[in-house]
Amino acid sequence: MKAKKSTPYIFLLPLLMAFGLFLFYPLTKVVMDSFYKFNFLNPSHKVWVGGFNYKWLFTFRLYSPTYSYFVGALLKTVIWVGGSVAIKVLLGLGGALLLNSEFLKWKKVYRTLLIIPWSIPWAMSAMIWYWTLNGQFGIINSLLLHLHIIEEPVSFLAYPVSAFISTFIVDAWIGLPFMVIMLLSGLQTIPKHLYEAATIDGAGDFVKFTKITLPMIKPVLLTVSLLSIVWTFNSFAPIWILTRGGPVTSTTTLPIAIYNTSFRYLMFGGVGKASAMTIFQVLLVTSLSLFYIRTLKGEKS
Amino acid sequence: MKKFLFIASILVLGTLLFGAQTLTVLMPIGGGYTIQSQEVIAKSFEQAHPGVKVNMEFVGWANLWNKIITSFGANAAPDVMYIASRWIPALASMGALAPLENYITVQKEHMYYPSVWSSLIYKGHYWGVPRAMSTKVFVYNKKIFKENGITKVPTNWNELLEDAKKIYNPKKGIYGILMAGKKFVSTVTQFEQYLCANGGEIVDPNTGKVEIDSPQAVKALSFYKELSKYAQPGITNWTREDLIKLFEAGKGGMYIDHVHNAIKAMKAGIDVGFFPIPGGPDSNAPYSTVVVVDCMAVSSQAKNKELAWEFINYMSTLKEQTRWDTLQGFVPPMIKEAQESEFQKWYWKPYIQALKYGHPQAAGIKDWVSTANAILNAIQSVLLNQSTPQAALEKAAKTISVLQSQ
Repeated sequence: MKAKKSTPYIFLLPLLMAFGLFLFYPLTKVVMDSFYKFNFLNPSHKVWVGGFNYKWLFTFRLYSPTYSYFVGALLKTVIWVGGSVAIKVLLGLGGALLLNSEFLKWKKVYRTLLIIPWSIPWAMSAMIWYWTLNGQFGIINSLLLHLHIIEEPVSFLAYPVSAFISTFIVDAWIGLPFMVIMLLSGLQTIPKHLYEAATIDGAGDFVKFTKITLPMIKPVLLTVSLLSIVWTFNSFAPIWILTRGGPVTSTTTLPIAIYNTSFRYLMFGGVGKASAMTIFQVLLVTSLSLFYIRTLKGEKS
Repeated sequence: MKKFLFIASILVLGTLLFGAQTLTVLMPIGGGYTIQSQEVIAKSFEQAHPGVKVNMEFVGWANLWNKIITSFGANAAPDVMYIASRWIPALASMGALAPLENYITVQKEHMYYPSVWSSLIYKGHYWGVPRAMSTKVFVYNKKIFKENGITKVPTNWNELLEDAKKIYNPKKGIYGILMAGKKFVSTVTQFEQYLCANGGEIVDPNTGKVEIDSPQAVKALSFYKELSKYAQPGITNWTREDLIKLFEAGKGGMYIDHVHNAIKAMKAGIDVGFFPIPGGPDSNAPYSTVVVVDCMAVSSQAKNKELAWEFINYMSTLKEQTRWDTLQGFVPPMIKEAQESEFQKWYWKPYIQALKYGHPQAAGIKDWVSTANAILNAIQSVLLNQSTPQAALEKAAKTISVLQSQ
């Protein structure tokens, strides 16, 4: 029986509909909105402003005089994402190697425990960390004081640099289980005979790691790193709950700035300006993703 | 007979389908607000109004503003909403609220202290009915005061600072004063206490002129910074709402808070005392407090504004308002309510007496949220030694001037 020409398209239709509904429509709407001035309180009152919202991204300096509010947030985001993803990748790889090791006992228990940070709602995790990092009641301070590492409690979230670092560490803690599990699955696909052959050839552990393990899991590593970068770029809850973008503007990353512009600073901001910020973020993350995908393709060839 | 039954069934069905009216009400939870205490009102309103269904929606106080904005964006704004009066200028000027002067009778208006209404009137219209009013005073730990040889409560800023210094003992984990500095609205309201106590204001309520960089304001922020040396460390990550945990744990000599938290501290075994916020060196008044008023408002998107008003009217009878205030621990906004036995209790008196020296919060401010952010940046940059009070407030004034000119 010969299939009709239209058959594949019928099967594709649900996917195309979902694609249109959940990706194309919102994205088009955001692009359209970025050319208007309006806010959520009065969404029907839209005023066409052309490219003004895009110009505003680089000129609005009232809250952040060194750079514009947007550029300041963008720069912080790049460093923040870099810090968080670096921790996730390094500790993720270390954790995966440990769980893949033949010498480790109780592996199933560790794997189950590992899932906990990922299974807790992000907002709840951030709230737990809010009190864990607290200068007076936090367990970290209590431990450090008990071990005589510090003499006075440290308020991790109260100062710009420590708050910046603490927020991306918390974000990394939330995202780490995914990284470990994905890398572990990558490690488990490496044929054991490669290591046996290397051992016969007299290769040490470091050589085995750099010449076998890393090249073999590179595609997985690059894929999960890419996913992690995209997700971390959009990370909102940990920062909002821990510091609300402060002290001053030290943890105001792009998602926080977009949220403030959209929902809070109604007179300065508005949906149009927040949409323009979003378009920039989408373009940046998409460019980064395309670069990664090209790198991945290069690896495969 | 069959014909009669058929018509009767149609009528019953019609009433059920079209007669039932739904009212959506957005209320806060957290702090003193509990779901149970608020659902009682909805149920009793439904009983008094057959055919009306009240959908109570609850959101944490910190997210109330965002919930209102997003619900308008989705064209699904609640019919009735609980709002802070400081939001009224922004919400009213953007067409989110329905004016209420045609509903509020003279009799209703006269039930409240006249000053309560001042923050609910904007551009000649009434935008809400008072729901919660609060004043604040210093709550202090009598035991800590006594242990440090402090026999009388401070009556001016010098004494306040001296007492904080005497109590401050970081090695023992006891701090002279507990202060807020986190990027959160209550930090602004805490600073406002000192600002108003020194005769300063954010904006001149009559002219709209920005006054946040006035000498009184600079002195208030300098004093806030000076006091912070004797406060718990890392105050830039403490909200006023979290300070009660330190006070309950016996870690703070004094701090500014609501009566409901003072009651909480008493229940935790703290020997609590009160004293009014002393006036600053530039003020003529001996004491001061910022009067915060929250209200019930009708959304401009409400389909049945009469019903929405009826609900507000029902909520704000003397009986219901008294029940609410005693349950939540708010200062009574109604004149007769203040005569209730609950408000004669010793711990209520300082809060009610403070009304005499009250300053309305956010009078004349067009966009509170953005204005508060500018002030927060100023407070935090001073506390973190990034800026001087003068420079920080001048920067905030520049930002607020732009907002006021919009």
